[in-house]
Amino acid sequence: MLLIALLLVPFLAAALLLVARPDGAARTIALLSSFITAALAILLWVRYPGSNVTLLDLAWMPDWGLRFTVGYDGTGLLFLLLTALIFPFIIGAGRREGADRPALMNALLLFTQSALFGVFMAQNAFLFYIFYELSLVPLFFLLLFWGSAVPGRLGSAKAVTMRFFIYTLLGGLALLFAIAYCVVQEPTHSADFNALHALRLPGDVQIWLFWALFLAFAVKLPIFPFHSWQPDTYTSAPLQGTMVLGGVLLKMGLFGILRFVLPIVPEGVEFWRSTVVWMALIGALYAGIIAFRQRDLKRLVAYSSLSHVGLLCAGLFAQNTYGISGSLYQAFAHAVLVVCMLYLVGAIQRRTGTTDLEAMGGLKHRAPRLAALFFLVMLNAVALPLTQSFVGEWLMFNGLWQRDGWMAFAAVTTIILGAVYMLYAYQRVMLGPENAKLPQTGDADQHDHLVLVPLIAVSLVLGVFPAPVLNLLDGSVQQMLSTFTALY
Amino acid sequence: MSALILTSVLGVLLLYLGLFGQKKLLVPVGVLGLLAAIGLFVMDRSINVAMFANMVSFDRASWFFSCGMLVVTVLIFLFGADYYARQEENVAEQYALMVFSLTGALLLTSYTNLLMLFLGIEILSIPLYIMAGGKRDSMRSSEASFKYFLLGSFASAFLLMGIALIYGVAASFDLGVVKEVALRQLVQPDILFTLGCFFVAIGLSFKVAAAPFHFWSPDVYEGSPTLITAFMSTVVKMAAFIGLYRFVGMTQMPPTLGNALLVMTIFTLLIGNIVALRQSHFKRLMAYSSIAHSGFLLMAVLSQAPNTAQVLFYYTFTYSLATVGLFILMTLAKRAANGDEHIRIFRGLFRAKPWIGVVTLLLLLSLAGIPLTAGFVAKYQIFLLAIGADMIKTTVFAVLMALVGIYYYAVVIREAFTPSEEAPALVVSPVNLLLISVCGISVVVFGLLPGYLQ
Repeated sequence: MLLIALLLVPFLAAALLLVARPDGAARTIALLSSFITAALAILLWVRYPGSNVTLLDLAWMPDWGLRFTVGYDGTGLLFLLLTALIFPFIIGAGRREGADRPALMNALLLFTQSALFGVFMAQNAFLFYIFYELSLVPLFFLLLFWGSAVPGRLGSAKAVTMRFFIYTLLGGLALLFAIAYCVVQEPTHSADFNALHALRLPGDVQIWLFWALFLAFAVKLPIFPFHSWQPDTYTSAPLQGTMVLGGVLLKMGLFGILRFVLPIVPEGVEFWRSTVVWMALIGALYAGIIAFRQRDLKRLVAYSSLSHVGLLCAGLFAQNTYGISGSLYQAFAHAVLVVCMLYLVGAIQRRTGTTDLEAMGGLKHRAPRLAALFFLVMLNAVALPLTQSFVGEWLMFNGLWQRDGWMAFAAVTTIILGAVYMLYAYQRVMLGPENAKLPQTGDADQHDHLVLVPLIAVSLVLGVFPAPVLNLLDGSVQQMLSTFTALY
Repeated sequence: MSALILTSVLGVLLLYLGLFGQKKLLVPVGVLGLLAAIGLFVMDRSINVAMFANMVSFDRASWFFSCGMLVVTVLIFLFGADYYARQEENVAEQYALMVFSLTGALLLTSYTNLLMLFLGIEILSIPLYIMAGGKRDSMRSSEASFKYFLLGSFASAFLLMGIALIYGVAASFDLGVVKEVALRQLVQPDILFTLGCFFVAIGLSFKVAAAPFHFWSPDVYEGSPTLITAFMSTVVKMAAFIGLYRFVGMTQMPPTLGNALLVMTIFTLLIGNIVALRQSHFKRLMAYSSIAHSGFLLMAVLSQAPNTAQVLFYYTFTYSLATVGLFILMTLAKRAANGDEHIRIFRGLFRAKPWIGVVTLLLLLSLAGIPLTAGFVAKYQIFLLAIGADMIKTTVFAVLMALVGIYYYAVVIREAFTPSEEAPALVVSPVNLLLISVCGISVVVFGLLPGYLQ
């Protein structure tokens, strides 16, 4: 019942907001809902017995062998927790953004959350797909209603929205085709993950089916060369929308690779591994270099996210304990990081009225506490030891090293690039002579601390003591890897 | 079959009501009659009983299709009360012709004899030719009627020729006998029989608006009164597809016919979707989207799996619900925009009437095939069928075309959810609100619980 509550609480809260439109109380209701779901997710964690759990299994479309099956394992639980714990901050961040029609905005955010929970708890491919696509619909409207035109680039907010929608659906439909193909091949015609994982497709089929399965997640993450929608969408989206996109939504891509690509087409993975890892790493390097050249802070965050995600994907495809655990650990760290970074972008924009790096400088003199918070977040971003990112990147680095030294070398280079562009950005925003043209502004206030301090605390605590999350993952990752090794 | 007789009598009754000037009674009597016909279907489950001298036999599929078409016609009738509110003359004829056309459609679901196929097609079509020209003072309506009639009779001639050729080989019109002949044909092909099958397939493809026999459909859709367009794109489509499905099943699909249909499927998907991208006129957009949907349905017809008829019904019925809802919405928006039919008439819909905006969203998502709506389950089923029949490449192509489809529906969604300077002053009567809501909610309900439709 806990899982159903997790699905229903945000959904019902969103429906309430949509019907009643209480613009004044909208954020309070949304925040309340997100706190309830966070509590529920923590309860799930406490009760987690350490192995795969199926909590609910109902006949749904009996004629087509489809069941409504929800449950979770260690990785699923990690992502459920991530979604539940990060959303209060995303919704809380909206208090200062002051977008119009807050009821509608929060309703859409909560709908997305509900769909995300569905994705992470689905135990069959059909259900996964439904929630996966469903998460797209509220985002379409978030972008359409609150998106801003991207300066200097082709396209109004409308064009960016359509590009995002169609690009993502291209991947989605390829996934649907792949699911249909697997379901037809599977003797009982059920889309259950266990049945699909037991499917042994011929090698030549796996080689092309790999791309049908992988395309959706490659676009969602996105990895090079499927990333062209990402920078514009991140820049155009309202701040909270970007937080959802970068913080949680792209994690569906990682989760999907774990659920679909690695177990269903192991031979295809074997065949394409180095291609995909190199694509991801090249994308990570490329995004890192471009991030360095960005003038716009939000766009810089978009490219830095692109760079990080490339590394996450590479770590996952290293397909060993270090690589997968590291990638999943880093997924958590990345969510925290993205939300912090974007919140800071918003905070700086509110104070200076711009996100243009050229127009800023010396903000430290006026807002020392904000500068300190930015500094702490940046430490996490550059993966300094004792931060959460360091643990994840260290593990991924080890995983890639076990595969290939050059891959590890490329991974380390992206980390160095990350340090360079983040420090450079910090320097341009906070340090240097004070830019006289900036309006007079205040320092970080109570609200800023309320959002940022817990997130920074999490990233530092988990950087020193990563055991709780790694233990959570350990069982599932080992189980997954043992099935792979059993194949060869 | 009492329901068949009832609908024929109902048409005559409606004509008499018109003759005596009882305009107010038309819709209640029509709807009651249609509901009674549904009732007869529900009570009388004489499945697989040969009737009318072995001409007609209702099986499970025809039972579902018949009920589905009756339900859709009821929805159209209920909207008709509003649609024809300002028209004083010739209203009864429109309803009566629709009921006659429906009778032909019922025959198409259940024919077991090629003559009955021809009769069904003609009874379905001839009222449609007249109805397309329902707006007598409009040039476009007359043009639509004339075009439809000319091309339609040409297609009927093909159909008849094909039936004659098949008769020439099989010496019988009965589907059972022809089927046995067709089985022998697989070993020892006879060019006359294959040619006959081709001709009949062409005649039927015209009705389903499959490329390259689709040219009539955008013009006819655009020119006809919207109510008739709604009828054409729903009931007629359902009838034509069950007719085609039965015919293709009977021929045992000689490889040449199968290949020809496959090529047609690909062209239909391509033309329907690609051309729809360029449409800014809502009715033409719906016409091309209807062609595109025919492409998906043709894939199902080609698969000929045991559950093909179920999937066809599920797809066409939910498609019809969404289409009827959208045509009602379009009529209301068109009125508010003084007769404009450009998709910009939907702009600002969500701001002005949030609930109507949400329903529009649901209907369009269903047509686009986004999850939680029936359209998604339908498309997924089609893909399953096609992959099951080993049409992998065609399915990949269809998936790409589905993506194109999503784009042009998303454009309409974008319009409806973009605020405009002057909100459309939509007047929605309670009946229309109910109809639209029923359509919108049912596509979601059937999407969540598809089990109710099989």
